[in-house]
Amino acid sequence: MSLARTLLTRGNGLLAALACLAALVLAAPAQAATPRDQLVIGMNMNNLLSLDPAGATGNDVLGVVANLYDYLVELDPHDLARVRPALAGHWVFADDRRSLTLTLREGVRFQSGRLLTADDAAWSLQRVLKLNLAMASPWKSYGFSAANAPRLIRALDARTLRIDFPEPTDPKMVLYTLATSVSAAILDRQAVLAHERNGDLGAAWLLTHAAGSGPFALTEWRAKDAMLMDRFNGYWRGPAKLRRVVMRHIPESLSLRFMITRGDVDLAAGMAGPDIEALKHDASVVVQPVLRGTSYYVALSMKNPRFADRRVRLALRSLIDYDGINKAIMPNYGVAHQRPVMIGLAAALPDPGYRLDVPRARKLLAEAGYPQGFRTTIRVLSDPPLINIATSLQATLALAGIDAEILSGTGNQVYGAMRDRKFDIVVGRGGGGVEPHPHANLRALVYNPDNSDAARLTNFQGWRTGFHSPAINRLIEEAVREPDEARQNAMYREVQRLYDSEVGAIQPIAQMQETVVLSRRVHGYVGHPSATTHLRDVHKD
Amino acid sequence: MTTSLANAWARAGALRARLLSTLVTLFGLLALTFFIGRVMPIDPVLSIVGPDADASTYQQVAVQLGLDQPLWVQFGRYLNELAHGNLGVSLLTGNPVGADIARVFPATLELATFAILIGTLAGVPLGVLAASHRGHWQDNAVRLLSLTGYSTPVFWFGMMGLLVFYAWLGWAGGSGRIDLAFDGLLPPVTGLMLVDSSLAGNWPAFGNSVRHLMLPAGILGLHSMAYISRMTRSFMLAQLSQEYILTARVKGLPESRVIWGHAFRNIRVQLLTIVALAYGGLLEGAVLIETVFAWPGFGQYLTNSMLLGDMSAVMGCVLVVGIIFVGLNLLSDLLYQVFDPRMH
Repeated sequence: MSLARTLLTRGNGLLAALACLAALVLAAPAQAATPRDQLVIGMNMNNLLSLDPAGATGNDVLGVVANLYDYLVELDPHDLARVRPALAGHWVFADDRRSLTLTLREGVRFQSGRLLTADDAAWSLQRVLKLNLAMASPWKSYGFSAANAPRLIRALDARTLRIDFPEPTDPKMVLYTLATSVSAAILDRQAVLAHERNGDLGAAWLLTHAAGSGPFALTEWRAKDAMLMDRFNGYWRGPAKLRRVVMRHIPESLSLRFMITRGDVDLAAGMAGPDIEALKHDASVVVQPVLRGTSYYVALSMKNPRFADRRVRLALRSLIDYDGINKAIMPNYGVAHQRPVMIGLAAALPDPGYRLDVPRARKLLAEAGYPQGFRTTIRVLSDPPLINIATSLQATLALAGIDAEILSGTGNQVYGAMRDRKFDIVVGRGGGGVEPHPHANLRALVYNPDNSDAARLTNFQGWRTGFHSPAINRLIEEAVREPDEARQNAMYREVQRLYDSEVGAIQPIAQMQETVVLSRRVHGYVGHPSATTHLRDVHKD
Repeated sequence: MTTSLANAWARAGALRARLLSTLVTLFGLLALTFFIGRVMPIDPVLSIVGPDADASTYQQVAVQLGLDQPLWVQFGRYLNELAHGNLGVSLLTGNPVGADIARVFPATLELATFAILIGTLAGVPLGVLAASHRGHWQDNAVRLLSLTGYSTPVFWFGMMGLLVFYAWLGWAGGSGRIDLAFDGLLPPVTGLMLVDSSLAGNWPAFGNSVRHLMLPAGILGLHSMAYISRMTRSFMLAQLSQEYILTARVKGLPESRVIWGHAFRNIRVQLLTIVALAYGGLLEGAVLIETVFAWPGFGQYLTNSMLLGDMSAVMGCVLVVGIIFVGLNLLSDLLYQVFDPRMH
């Protein structure tokens, strides 16, 4: 007792100080709601690394770049096949389908105050190829290179940009790339070159800065903490409705859920499925799903002799619980889909109806010489829903005697092994689909023009899995050059049928769906299927 | 005169030896981190170019980063840069590593300092209380509290804390260090929100910072308190069984005097050591709490850097952690000198 008394007596000063502090804290205003003229976005910013349109990878950066910069054209979020004018008021394809000429608007100014011209547009696209960073990939697939870019991408005058295609292709694909790829953002050439170091075309500076003409200007970026964008009042479409957009790094889904229910964030992106499900019953928020073009898939390495056997691949195709995965795991992450071409395109075939069929799988494995199954590994990211899909797959493989060990890790570890063709099974997500065109999916998932190890076609998942079908390759190459749309679609349907009969190495399970949760105070937010979501028309109560 | 010169010389020699051993320790730490980082299955090039880049892009970036060079050349280059006071540039944020650490470290410093204050101010009296009532309900209650605090994952505490004190009651601030209303309004002088808001005379911002700080600091403090109270109890029990305590009691000294004036006095030095170690551990960054509370601190920065293979950032962080521990060791040695009469 005496000790307790002593503690109390000696602690009097401390208690008084604590009482003062408590009074101050309780008197401090608790944030009841976010300001009316600001949009607060809560998201995991771990994958938001570079802001340079030439080198920025991932979906998250698309939503940032689309608001800091302008594109020459845009896609209608409600109808992806509809290309809308942006910096380019109109455009025309050459009769021989080998070039595209865009006419730029007059009077558009960068945030620096300088007039935007076709020279800036040409330079921005050439820069991507000269730097040869991650985002040069789509352009290189059309045959562009650092060497030919200055000749093929030209400003004919201050308002006219001409792009000549090095190889025959579908001009629509190029137009879609101009509308959706981070690499197609138009930079303020002078502002960027003012920060050039050692001939890097401003690459080091653009990692953390921006020089565009978009509706918002980058005010502050604290990596893995917050990004502040303020309205650019000189925007050519007229000032955005919001004064400021704040993105906050909130890596934990449950924390984000608490914050949106309390009104401390207006928009929550990248939340876990169960948290989104719980919020569907909350009257203060709206859940908005957006279908993207990428797939969740199971990939097998055909470098592994077992999986090179068509019967084994067919067996594994019958050992995926498509129905169970899509009902139990995929809500808010994806929708059931079993074809390599994304849902919603004219060329997409209906699902073939693959299902879990253990007796059939056992029979096929026995025919292939594995009546008792075998041991294998599944590489997968440790994030939901991928890890959950892998766990389901592990259980269903076991039904046919296949003992699969799950090796979970970071994207670096999983996709690094895939790029080196040193894996058995990968449960992953990918497959193009940014451009709303079958070629975008097939190029990423199926196409593999050279299956040799030396080719190192690491940007093609077809090569990574070792799937090589000359017939399919030929059809893909012909289809993208086919001018008649009906014939082109027929070719793409044939590719899908061939992929089914040849049992491709990548089996899609679901098509990605990104679900955002919005406060009911937010209006005018339309999530874009290509991730280029524009915030210029968003406003709040 | 000769004796004092000899003493001074000996002291200088001891200081030189200590400095040398510190440098060797830091060098060993850096070398080990560097080589472990390079053999880990994490590819910084892939982090930069993304999984879908083609081989030419990959190769070009690898060459730009000097990763095509032998390991010893890469390490040599790093040490050369370090010798010129340059911690390098983070591959992934594009900022100088020094600037990145200067931005994230104050957040952790603030959190860790409050946590250790809570842990010490609560843990020491509770440990003393438990030891002085050994076997009674007070002892059992403190041990139970300590066991709970020590064995319950801080991640779970964090979630529950957010649910109860933020989502339901609204007493605490949510994620982050300060509400949006104040974000960007405080001139960043020290990076410590409480100090910067005080310097700016912005008391609403100060109060708001405290609201955001109290929950993560309280949870970390509870965790530290569990450890400190357990250690305090065991140090005190060792003292209370000594003969001089029996003598003091026989002489009729009040129990509070026996406890605080004699037993506690003799464990201060040991306590300093464990508090310093606990503080050092907190300064390394409490990754889980920083994640739950979206606290932009050192732990998150280091973890993300490791996961992405950003070795410049990892090495910078390791150097800072090494210096912290060396500094805390030095500080506890100095405090030994002050508190331990045998050292005089």
